[in-house]
Amino acid sequence: MKKHIINGVLVFALMATAGCSSSNNAASNGSANQPPATTEPALKTGYGFDQWQQGPLGDVFYEFDSSDLSPEAQQQLKDNASWLESNPQKGTTIEGHCDSRGTSEYNIALGERRSASAKEYLVRLGIASSRLETVSYGEERPFATGENDEAWAKNRRAHFVVK
Amino acid sequence: MRLSKNVVHLLLILFVSLATIPLRVSAAETGEYIAIRKEGSGKIAIVLRQPDAKGNRESGWAQNLDTVIHEGLAFTGLFNILPAPLNIIDTTNPKNPVLNFGALNSVGSEIYAGGKVTKQSGEVVLDMEVYETLSSKQILKKTYTGREEQIRSIGQAFCADLVQLLTGKKSVFGTKIAFVSTRTGTKEIYECDFDGQNIVQLTSSRSISLTPVFSPDGHYLAWTDFTSGRPNLYIRDLTTNKTVPASKNGVSIDPGWRNNNEVATTLSFEGDQEIYLIRPDGSIAQRVTRNRGIDVSPTFSPDGGKMAFVSSRNGLPQIFVQDMGSGAVRRLTFSGRYNTQPSWSPVGDKIAYTTWENGSEINIFVINADGSGLVKLTSRCRENESPSWSPDGDMIVFTSNRDGKKKLYVMNASGENQRPLVKMDGEQMQPSWSLFRK
Repeated sequence: MKKHIINGVLVFALMATAGCSSSNNAASNGSANQPPATTEPALKTGYGFDQWQQGPLGDVFYEFDSSDLSPEAQQQLKDNASWLESNPQKGTTIEGHCDSRGTSEYNIALGERRSASAKEYLVRLGIASSRLETVSYGEERPFATGENDEAWAKNRRAHFVVK
Repeated sequence: MRLSKNVVHLLLILFVSLATIPLRVSAAETGEYIAIRKEGSGKIAIVLRQPDAKGNRESGWAQNLDTVIHEGLAFTGLFNILPAPLNIIDTTNPKNPVLNFGALNSVGSEIYAGGKVTKQSGEVVLDMEVYETLSSKQILKKTYTGREEQIRSIGQAFCADLVQLLTGKKSVFGTKIAFVSTRTGTKEIYECDFDGQNIVQLTSSRSISLTPVFSPDGHYLAWTDFTSGRPNLYIRDLTTNKTVPASKNGVSIDPGWRNNNEVATTLSFEGDQEIYLIRPDGSIAQRVTRNRGIDVSPTFSPDGGKMAFVSSRNGLPQIFVQDMGSGAVRRLTFSGRYNTQPSWSPVGDKIAYTTWENGSEINIFVINADGSGLVKLTSRCRENESPSWSPDGDMIVFTSNRDGKKKLYVMNASGENQRPLVKMDGEQMQPSWSLFRK
């Protein structure tokens, strides 16, 4: 119940933001010879951006055996939605990833649910599902090596590849 | 022990008449024999004598055949192979040397196997004879013929006959194991013989290829790979080498054959992940599960009437059993928080699976299909995964990283005699034992 209200508020907030950034974008697009946003090196740091995420869309992270979106994950998805609103010619492939624990077959299923939960949220924020592809790599393509909490946390993500 | 030996003795006398028309023993009698064997001590005490041969070439064949037979019978874990007594041949009458059953019995032998190798029309001809030593009765006499390069197959054909005669069950000889290896740098599908020999690479996707499984008759191989950019089911006709994808949106995960014409796999094209039955042409025959959450890794009872699978419907993954007729589902596993990778024994009502235990250990368990009789087969050796039964239900092949990299191992169904199976570069995982034999 409480969650629904929060989500509802977030959607409203986003619609407002999206509207803003859309007009901002129109302005910036108006200035000549801007390189495409996708080739800009990521200057951002913090949640969603690490050495593995160089594009404009930040990754989102998950708890163990979960595809639920934390408040931070939801915020990152709102930012990603804003960028997608501003770049309507772009789409993204959302890769679902898991840490190396557990078993491989189950993790492909879990990774898909992660990519699907991210996609579903973006669609609720107004991004056309035709621009959002999902794929699950399960535990097959880890980002961080190592068998520790830090590496596991980094590997439980939805990774955004702009195309 | 002594009592059971006598009963075995009596039963073997029954066999003799059958064995003179070698092979194909009727199920009723062999069933009785198995029951009595299990009641007695575990292993069958056997003396193997290198086949007689005249001539250099024949002697070389005999030596190689002896090695193949020795290794083959040792691999099954069913035998206690005894050294042959020195006076095994009684030469009291030099013109007619005979088997010395007294000597065989005195070393504790139950079964004796020996024979001779000759060359006929350039081919290897192996004449084998098997005796039950207490009764001095012949229980098998058969001739095996083939080319020199087929010596391994010739020796294993004899092993197959002997094991089937003594246990009443189809043996592992001639069966294949499909598996995944990173040898080339990416995960590709391979197959090898039951004993880890004759490795053949089956895919060159340079992508990620996972979870191979042969159809029961060996006509098809199904697996999941990422060639299209996402995990998708592929089915290869092994006769024509033609491969078809089961193309649907979303992912496909971890196929398991129900019979020769239906392979179950998880598809997500309808939104939620559900298990479907797919025909070998890639088309969908039927949806099987209807439940929100992860449903993966289908494996079927021998008659195809029940399906065990992994579901997250109660939270963390557990194994459930669904009746294919009524659709009724019950939870099978209640011990362990994270249970996956079920594998239904091809001979009975046992299901092997893995539990992710505290820390980073994953271990293999076997449980009866009714949920009773839980047994732990591996412990305190890191991650042991992906159990798959031999067709006779006597052995399990699995993955373990107990020595560092993930490698294939085999063990007896009781968990005894765990040892590495395949020697090859890279990691090996997700083995699946064929039901057919070539």
